[in-house]
Amino acid sequence: MENNKEIKPQAVVELIEHGPIKITGNFRVNDLKRIKEESPSEIWLCRCGRSNNKPYCDESHKK
Amino acid sequence: MEKSDGQFSGGRKYKNKDITVYWKPSACIHASYCYRELIEVFDPSRRPWVDMQGASTEKIIEVVNLCPTDALAWKWNDEEKNKSIGDDQYNHINFRRPELIDDLEPVNEELPASVKIMTDGPIVIKGSFSLVYEDGSRKEFRDGMISLCRCGVSDHQPFCDGRHRKVGFTG
Repeated sequence: MENNKEIKPQAVVELIEHGPIKITGNFRVNDLKRIKEESPSEIWLCRCGRSNNKPYCDESHKK
Repeated sequence: MEKSDGQFSGGRKYKNKDITVYWKPSACIHASYCYRELIEVFDPSRRPWVDMQGASTEKIIEVVNLCPTDALAWKWNDEEKNKSIGDDQYNHINFRRPELIDDLEPVNEELPASVKIMTDGPIVIKGSFSLVYEDGSRKEFRDGMISLCRCGVSDHQPFCDGRHRKVGFTG
């Protein structure tokens, strides 16, 4: 039987200069405050503390 | 997984009457919070380098919780107390080294890396992943763990140093 499980490369956590954290590859996200679990292919997480759409980056760091 | 007292697979452990501190040298990135904050307990020039009588249990827990990797983790010696640990106790073994509680789960590199957004706290990433710094340099983690700052005020970017609590970060 073919294994239909999607094969993703290992997760890569990238620190964007003066910007957010970009995560790609094989990972899952568990947001304890908003009680939300997801397995996106790519995510951009705020690390300046100013996003109005936490935990995601909304480019507030540029303001 | 635990061997004789004083050692466990991958490191050493140190006890006082209240808690056990686990040290995993392969995970240390020399962020140096432990000895800068509490040289009385964590003194790299001494053997053994951890003296559990050097400070109060509360102070030791506070400083172990500052470690941005799973090099330092802790648990209560009273197992009942380990069942209700708040998620602000970042380096309790429930969050950092769950394999020390239950070693039945093997390390599987095909498992997705776990990215936890802590309530009003950092991003805790666990598992196998690469960390790519702003200058393009990379560090590989195998069954590793890091806490990344989310509030923007850590003095040890990109890692969390606990300052989000002092500045009242929410998010």
